[in-house]
Amino acid sequence: MSFRTSTATQQRQNLQDLQATQERMALNNARITSGSRIGSPGEDPNGAALILDFGNSIQANTQYLKQVTSASSFLTSTEDAVNGAVQAVMRLQELAVSGSSASVPEVNAILQNLLGLANTQSQGKYIFSGTKTDTQPFGGPPAAPYTWQGNSEAINLGVSASTVVATNLTGDDVFQGVNYLAPAGVSANLFTVATDLASALQSGIGADVQTASKGLDAVLNNLNDMLAKLGGRQAGLLSLQTSLGNFNASLQSLQSAQEATDYPTAITEYSNDQTIQSATLSVMAKANKVNLFDYLA
Amino acid sequence: MPGLNASLYLGLSGLQAQQAALNVVGHNIANVNTPGYTRQRAALSASQSQVEGQIYFGTGVTLSSVQGIRDRFLDLQIYRETAKQTGADERYAAVNAVASSLGDTGSTGIAAQIQAFFQGFQDLSTQPESAALRTSLLGKAQAMITGLQTKYQLLEDQRGNADQSIGALVGEVNTLTGQIAQLNQRISTETTSGADNDARDQRKTLTDKLAGLVGINVSESSKGEYQITLDSGSAVLVTGTSSFDMVAERSGTGGYLQLAADMGGTLVDATSAIKEGTLGAKLDLRDNILVGFQAQLDQLAAGLSSNVNLAHQTGLAADGTLSGQGFFLNADPSNANDSSNGLPVTISFSSATLQFGPGWTSRYKGMVNLLAVNAALVKNPSLIAAASAGGAAGDNSNALRMAAFQDDPAAVNMGGTPTGFNSAVAALITDLGTQSQNYKAQSTAQQNLVSALQSQRDSISGVNLDEEASNMMTLQRGYQASARFISVINQLTDQLVNQFGR
Repeated sequence: MSFRTSTATQQRQNLQDLQATQERMALNNARITSGSRIGSPGEDPNGAALILDFGNSIQANTQYLKQVTSASSFLTSTEDAVNGAVQAVMRLQELAVSGSSASVPEVNAILQNLLGLANTQSQGKYIFSGTKTDTQPFGGPPAAPYTWQGNSEAINLGVSASTVVATNLTGDDVFQGVNYLAPAGVSANLFTVATDLASALQSGIGADVQTASKGLDAVLNNLNDMLAKLGGRQAGLLSLQTSLGNFNASLQSLQSAQEATDYPTAITEYSNDQTIQSATLSVMAKANKVNLFDYLA
Repeated sequence: MPGLNASLYLGLSGLQAQQAALNVVGHNIANVNTPGYTRQRAALSASQSQVEGQIYFGTGVTLSSVQGIRDRFLDLQIYRETAKQTGADERYAAVNAVASSLGDTGSTGIAAQIQAFFQGFQDLSTQPESAALRTSLLGKAQAMITGLQTKYQLLEDQRGNADQSIGALVGEVNTLTGQIAQLNQRISTETTSGADNDARDQRKTLTDKLAGLVGINVSESSKGEYQITLDSGSAVLVTGTSSFDMVAERSGTGGYLQLAADMGGTLVDATSAIKEGTLGAKLDLRDNILVGFQAQLDQLAAGLSSNVNLAHQTGLAADGTLSGQGFFLNADPSNANDSSNGLPVTISFSSATLQFGPGWTSRYKGMVNLLAVNAALVKNPSLIAAASAGGAAGDNSNALRMAAFQDDPAAVNMGGTPTGFNSAVAALITDLGTQSQNYKAQSTAQQNLVSALQSQRDSISGVNLDEEASNMMTLQRGYQASARFISVINQLTDQLVNQFGR
């Protein structure tokens, strides 16, 4: 038995199919022109959440990269200052070996230079004064000479979700050697040793020059320890920077795999729908022509 | 044996019946494009025979009735499914309208703005001395609040739109139920059951419309009257020849419309009794769906303000004094920095579980709208508590602590579950996307179902022009043959009267 088809049914079915085709075409059109696979989360809720998640990680990593750069720049300033101190101390040692009282003015000049290095500022803050960045770490004359005025707090920066890195060395550690285990009777305090050297050279007492020279060795060892510490931190930051960069690159490719339009598929679907649309239209136009009434005389 | 006169009447009955049946064909053709029209068929039957001796002679044809070809149960099913379809359509349209803005996964989205805010703290931690970074943090906080509030307002506007259309829809529903009751009256007084086809068609069209507006259950009484109740069954709209109006009233000033069914003077609350149809969907959107998204935004805002405020008030400002005030404040100055101001500043968090203070669940509602950056900090950014140790301008530990909330897996109370900010936003977007996808799938499925049912109804009740044309030819031939028969009887009569005996 045949199924009765009313004249209206056919029209309605055609129209509904046509609309469905056009809706698909509009969707693919938007995908192709925007380059984005998902225009609204409803098209793929899980995909949208993934894109968001990747986006969050990328944004966070980008921020961490910024933090790494910032930490690295503070560490570099510190490194420069410590390197300068190493050069100065080596010169002091040469002067101690020469043992001439004529070197006293140069020793005093170097001492002033060292004080300048200890009071280095980077981006407007004293890098050796702990968290008291607005305070000069070592006071000079006329205040009590070479007094430590900073604190021994570390300035930490978050460089990943779980890692913080200290971006500073404190002046008491670097210049006063407070954590350095010096041999008995020898000071690792740079300012004390340099002042002692100046007065020993002035007075010409060989034993005092000898003691000062031992002190200079201790100071130099301490400074080298500091440089090693800085180098270690810098190396850590560098590897972190590389891995964050790589991580971001792979996240970005994952995100674009989720987000970017699959052009071959979209274009194929689009042209397929175009064919369907023109076929539907032509059938609608033809079907409307045929009717028994046309043949009745 | 019947006489010639009887034969003439027999021929006449044929003429009349064919013509009446042609009239029905004409009516069908005329109504081929009338929505809801049910094709009619002339039921012809042989007249009662005349008995002479042992022989039964036919006396021609009579038109016994004009029947509408319909399936009543199919109609009832269509009403039910139509309401579900318009309900899903409406929900999909509204959710989809907010989805692209609320579910923005790009740099203007909620997630990106919350992250930017916390990154403001990270930036500040590199240079706590910098006034510029403090100002920039305030700017990021403001941008985040504006972003959240814009999205909240978008939902609020959608709810307002839904509320406004509810008023108009109730008017339409009342008109339709009134008309249906009148048609019930016409149908119940028809001469024979099923005689008033056109009234039934009209009633079907009106009920189709009504089903699009509200979810309804329809049943037909033995007298052919429709009895219509809401889909939840809690109120009657039409029974017999009377209809009951829906009443929409505002609850207080600025409140939303509340619906009630006026059952002859007694009001029965119907606000949550309509499940489907445009009206049901609008009510659902206004009172449940959109509110759900707003609640998620409120929870985010509560997580932001409570965590950051708690950390901020124990921190130290740039000059080393204890802050004692929150980073965020209620926008209402009369409640500024009051622990009962709607912001849960006094809520304590332990590391593993979130502990919420009394009244939390009621207090966080609408929090997004109350959220504002503490005006004192805007006026003097140096009051931002980045430090936790006195006399140390470079101390950034409190800024780091606040920045770390970004990755805190228990910063937000999502309906009782501790969740991180990123996960909370992802949950909102997944929720939004899934709902939008579900309603779309529902709407497509319902549309397919309704259109299959309609095709089935059309297959039974719809007019097919080819069929009508072929009926027309048959009837025309019948009419011509009957006329020919009369002419033959006429010739016989002529033979008898004028030629006989010549």
